[in-house]
Amino acid sequence: MNQTLYNYILNKKHHSHRHSVDWDLATEYSSKNLSPIERMSDRFTRLCEEEKAVILEGEQIVFLRTVSNLPAIFTDAEWKEINNKHYIHELGFMSNLSPNYYDTIATGLLSKRETADEYGKKAIDNIIKLSDKYLEEAKKQGRDDLVQVLSQVPRYPARNFREALQFFRILHFALWLEGNYHNTIGRFDKYMFPYLKADMEKGVYTQETALELLEDFFLSFNKDSDIYVGVQQGDNGQSMMLGGVDEDGNDVYNLLSELCLKASCNNKMIDPKINLRVSKNTPADRYTEATKLTRAGLGFPQYSNDDVVIPALEAMGYSHNDAVNYTVAACWEFIIPNVGADVANIAALSYPKAVDTALHNSLNKANTYEEFFGFVKTEIEKECNTICENINNLWFIPSPFMNVLMDCDIYTGGKYNNFGIHGTGIATAADSLAAIKKYVFEEKSISKDELIAAVDNNFENTPELLHKLRYESPKLGNNDDFVDSIATELLDTFGNALKGKTNCRGGIYRAGTGSAMYYLWHANEIGASADGRREKEPFGTNYSVSLFANVKGPVSVIASMTKQHFENAMNGGPLTLEFHQSIFADDDGIQKVGLLVKNFIDRGGHQLQLNTVNLDRMLDAQKHPENHRQLVVRIWGWSAYFVELDKEYQDHVIARQAYTV
Amino acid sequence: MTGIIFDVKEMAVHDGPGIRTTVFLKGCPLSCAWCHNPEGLSFEPQLMYKAVRCIDCKSCQRECNHPECQAFGRCIHSCPENCLEIAGREITPQELANDLKKSADVLGDSFGGFTFSGGEPLAQPEFLLQLIKELNNYNLCIETSGFAESDVFKEVIDKLDFVIMDIKLADTEIHKKYTGVDNDLILNNFKYLKQSGKPYVIRTPLIPNITDTKENLTAIKNIIGDSNWEQLPYNAAAGAKYKMLGMNYKL
Repeated sequence: MNQTLYNYILNKKHHSHRHSVDWDLATEYSSKNLSPIERMSDRFTRLCEEEKAVILEGEQIVFLRTVSNLPAIFTDAEWKEINNKHYIHELGFMSNLSPNYYDTIATGLLSKRETADEYGKKAIDNIIKLSDKYLEEAKKQGRDDLVQVLSQVPRYPARNFREALQFFRILHFALWLEGNYHNTIGRFDKYMFPYLKADMEKGVYTQETALELLEDFFLSFNKDSDIYVGVQQGDNGQSMMLGGVDEDGNDVYNLLSELCLKASCNNKMIDPKINLRVSKNTPADRYTEATKLTRAGLGFPQYSNDDVVIPALEAMGYSHNDAVNYTVAACWEFIIPNVGADVANIAALSYPKAVDTALHNSLNKANTYEEFFGFVKTEIEKECNTICENINNLWFIPSPFMNVLMDCDIYTGGKYNNFGIHGTGIATAADSLAAIKKYVFEEKSISKDELIAAVDNNFENTPELLHKLRYESPKLGNNDDFVDSIATELLDTFGNALKGKTNCRGGIYRAGTGSAMYYLWHANEIGASADGRREKEPFGTNYSVSLFANVKGPVSVIASMTKQHFENAMNGGPLTLEFHQSIFADDDGIQKVGLLVKNFIDRGGHQLQLNTVNLDRMLDAQKHPENHRQLVVRIWGWSAYFVELDKEYQDHVIARQAYTV
Repeated sequence: MTGIIFDVKEMAVHDGPGIRTTVFLKGCPLSCAWCHNPEGLSFEPQLMYKAVRCIDCKSCQRECNHPECQAFGRCIHSCPENCLEIAGREITPQELANDLKKSADVLGDSFGGFTFSGGEPLAQPEFLLQLIKELNNYNLCIETSGFAESDVFKEVIDKLDFVIMDIKLADTEIHKKYTGVDNDLILNNFKYLKQSGKPYVIRTPLIPNITDTKENLTAIKNIIGDSNWEQLPYNAAAGAKYKMLGMNYKL
């Protein structure tokens, strides 16, 4: 690794090259009555002109953002009107796409220009112009190596590994500059390996020098990422997929995959976010290698199980060749590279809210637990109907260059136009239902009115009941069928409730096991819950056990969380396991964690994410952030620097630990 | 027949080969000054109070009728933060074995086996032997101080697959000073272990200025010869649980 460059970026010295612009484009565009695509195109042109070419000392992969903001293209009034007319998802862009970088890297922008529409052509011309600024700067600095690279790409196809990496950087940079976000990387080791392989065969690189170049490339994802803020900093969707099978069922995992794991481990930075596709056929030693990255404490790799994901995608209507090519969106949603235009995170169902509504409106009408669950089921179905009915007339801000990089016109409709719905708080809901089943219907030790009153009073005057529900009741995560089977029923209900519905873009709805940030939002929509959760306490993230559940350990958690029928809910969303750093102290510990992951996969778990945590360090970081700038934690589907998070997110990460000694 | 345990830990990675589950038997004839599991010392159930979580809500001071609370003068079933916990659960070997087998079933071929730790597992010989019988299809391992009557030691060791045994201090007087007992039984049992053909490892916790002295380590080396030997670094957080039990940490 180039330590000087690394420290330069780490210490944010490159920020000195940035400036912001105060252009009032929105007013100008409005007065000229420009269409949305004309506005996007014009802003991109101006930004490319404004960007300066900066080449840092020793940098092999160049392109650095020097304009730190993107001026609005709509006036507030216009944006309001658009929102009134349309369903607008998040910031209005079609994000979470996996563009076809490979095709462009292999053919060159000039070749892509021939088939692009007029806005695509203009975007390409602007990128080439900006790239030429870098070429001039390289000449000025006497950087012959860069002059050679930039004389070839992005105009013409990459001829070698370095040109391919630089080409990727330019394309990715351009997508961000255009205004797109959650720009994923896709199956990097699949499309990039041929370049490395050819160079290795020619003797251009040893494994060490290839790794060094890759580390420089990985560093490039961290140069501008603080500008790419999502809900919190770090939520930027630069996710990379490694491994998995190809169209013919062959294992893709190769030397580049290995080097990517190593580069990530060495860089210890939150981007790119590494995902690994695995299956029953994955050899045990690969889990060991991947666990070494887990030990680094970055919250990845995240594992996806081909044996479970691919058939489920096919069952949802994805063709075999597309399903085997799946990757993940910003966090964990399964998407299809090149041709997929799914909106994988469009809304979320709150399971606990359905239980809460049923508790208040219907518990007194129910004579048996089965009857009560019927009411919960109705609430889930009602909520799913409402969610789907609300998403109409969806509109996206068109991005001409993103459209160039996709294999189909995504704005008129991709090959797949499905909507993904998250499912939040499954453990809170399952634990609440288990308590109701056990105490209200089976033991009859708690009366219906008593339970409702206690929940409504936030357990203020019933400490014994609170303690019993919270700490002495069946909880998801203990390999206890009594409650695990309730989670299964909830997931089935959700999946079935969305089946057969068609969305406003002609696609289907996909139920998922993720929560995204809804684990905080949805938790505030209801008061206390029957599992002993007090009001304002958050749910667990994604497909996880409740924050205060006393669980026996990771083996039981895995058992509980692999019993469900994931084929009914395959939008994505992992089980998270947290391990104290000390477990990775020696090779033996690393190998055993790897074995545990293998076991999860072999049992048919769908997606898994592991955290390495050190509670003491997090607590100290809250007091002395300056000493822990590099402390990384995993949030719901992305990793972040702990000290840069808002306190409520910091506290949630800490709360996940409070019950492990 | 019942025994008393204070914990079951899944995914114990430092307690023998493979992914193991470790059972901690409560009660120990030794009282090592550096013991990091003080709730394993007494053979009786004990109240653990986790003060760091306490929000001073006084819920535990309310009167209650739970029989198990009376001995402690506090209600252990009403703390919203779960600060109060009883360390020590009486259980039959059959019940414990059935529970343990569940985690073995989950892991299948990747399951390593069970480890008996403590406390001193050999201090509940009847319970332990019955438990071993219930679990005889699995790889079984013990973590022991080696302090037990030699017939108990032999009977148990012969039924196990792997032994992790401590030799903390070579000098019997110093041993007595810091652990409360002399090491005659331990060294005698080690002799048996060494010639038994049973795979084993000797562990020595490195306690600053007590066990980590050159004299002690050299003397241990002389005793154990070419046996596998692990020296465990001192854990600075070893004293963490004493306060919870109302005990004093001597180091």
